[in-house]
Amino acid sequence: MAQSSEPCVPGLFSSDGGVKVLGSRCVTCGTPYFPKATSCHNPACSGSKMEPCEFGGRGKLWSYSVADFPPPLPHKYDKPFKPYAIGVVDLENGLRLVGQMVDPPEAVRVGAAVELVIDTLYHEQDKAFTTWKFKLV
Amino acid sequence: MKEVAVLGVGLHRFGKTGDAIVGNKSVTELCRGAVDMALKDAGVSWRQIEAVTAASSRFSGGKGWGLNGNDVVEDIGSTGIPVYNMSAGCAAGGNAFNVGYSMVAGGLYDVVLVVGGEVMPKGMIQTSGNEEVTDPEFLRQRCIGFPGPSFWATLARRRMHDYGTTEEQFAQVTVKARKCSVGNPFARFQKEVTLEEVLASPYVSNPLRLFEICPVSNGAAAAIICSKEKARQFTGKPVWVATSTVATMTFQDSLPRGLAGPAPSGASFHTEAKGAVLKAFERSGISPKDVSFTELQDNTCYYELAFPEEWGLCQPGEAERLVAAGETTPTGRMPINPSGGFVSFGEATTAMGVFQIAELTWQLRGQSGARQVPGAKVGLAQTLGLGGNATAAILKR
Repeated sequence: MAQSSEPCVPGLFSSDGGVKVLGSRCVTCGTPYFPKATSCHNPACSGSKMEPCEFGGRGKLWSYSVADFPPPLPHKYDKPFKPYAIGVVDLENGLRLVGQMVDPPEAVRVGAAVELVIDTLYHEQDKAFTTWKFKLV
Repeated sequence: MKEVAVLGVGLHRFGKTGDAIVGNKSVTELCRGAVDMALKDAGVSWRQIEAVTAASSRFSGGKGWGLNGNDVVEDIGSTGIPVYNMSAGCAAGGNAFNVGYSMVAGGLYDVVLVVGGEVMPKGMIQTSGNEEVTDPEFLRQRCIGFPGPSFWATLARRRMHDYGTTEEQFAQVTVKARKCSVGNPFARFQKEVTLEEVLASPYVSNPLRLFEICPVSNGAAAAIICSKEKARQFTGKPVWVATSTVATMTFQDSLPRGLAGPAPSGASFHTEAKGAVLKAFERSGISPKDVSFTELQDNTCYYELAFPEEWGLCQPGEAERLVAAGETTPTGRMPINPSGGFVSFGEATTAMGVFQIAELTWQLRGQSGARQVPGAKVGLAQTLGLGGNATAAILKR
């Protein structure tokens, strides 16, 4: 029986027509935001109109770290804890996005090409809770 | 603007809850130790203090509202003086010093107590307790799991990519820091560690290891600052505040502080720290080459390599070589954290900005014993806190 899954926090990402996180962009200066911003934070921009914007596809690892110990709550994880890499990725569409890596920490390198995926973060009450992650291409 | 002097400073030795140093002392008890010492050092009586600027803690004391200065005043004696409680994360001590300095320089008060103390909860600091989907910090921890040490590890990993920094070179910074701490009666750790011991300590967040990241500590620090005219009543040789500055991060800052931001076209660095330090150079007319030594916020040894370069104390990519050549020791050309730094003290968060003022003062008076920077004339201090807060101070004799 296939296990049911749902986003760990609803409304932040989607996999319809390719994986993407759901953010916004300033209509005037083009600054990208995730999660959605209600107004532009750029002090050089006088505009305040925002439009919804999806960010997905590929990017390049600016840097990464490894969580060698489980982070405290509100983080949730499956036990026993397995260290994971956290990537900081410059996506092709101009957003620098942070996310867990699917790949084992030993395989990750600065500058590597990655793509956005949806993957399980933890299980609770027979349900898989998902989030956005990166995967080496 | 009036000239401002540091008349006296005090610390309560840093330790860990339950140990022989701090035991189960409250923030107020730790602060009392530091304040008593600072008053004696200054030759000032409690009733001569005209105002208090206090670093505001969210961890303990302060009646749960960050009213840490009020706790201190009630404990030592309520004289009715104004109390200013300053909140700026780990930069709160630096902020309290800046507000105290600004008010004395502006002529509002002549004698001000600056104080910060902390009893820290165990383990990794939780940034937010709220389970609110509108709180970016909640989203970051729930959707990713990005603890504080991993933020530092991301910067350290990037430096390895940019400059070829090795894990041994990170470890060398800790070896130097712990060597400085030997004989510092206020440091929590006062023993040397070897390169092998550092490299054998477990990763907290690869590439950073346990001995390369400051633990949390309990401790307190206090400083009595005073206008120039009034200072003459107390001492013939005060230490002078050349300047004190505060800055916050700019929109161009592209460090991974939240879930996402615009990808930058250039380098990524702490814009708040650089902003505060460069403003301090500009306001005081003191240049990096005039600095005898620096106390910077080394939550991790990475900062001891990156910050001197970002502020112009040395050239980009040069720090590893300077550490290896012993130039960052108290007797080197660019002494960094002669106190032993956060790595030797542990971080009693809100006390740190005031702790640095104490170390700068002792160094400039030539009272630092084995860790003394010979002939120290100008000291630079810098703090950094959650929310993109930073402070800098330059003291001189």
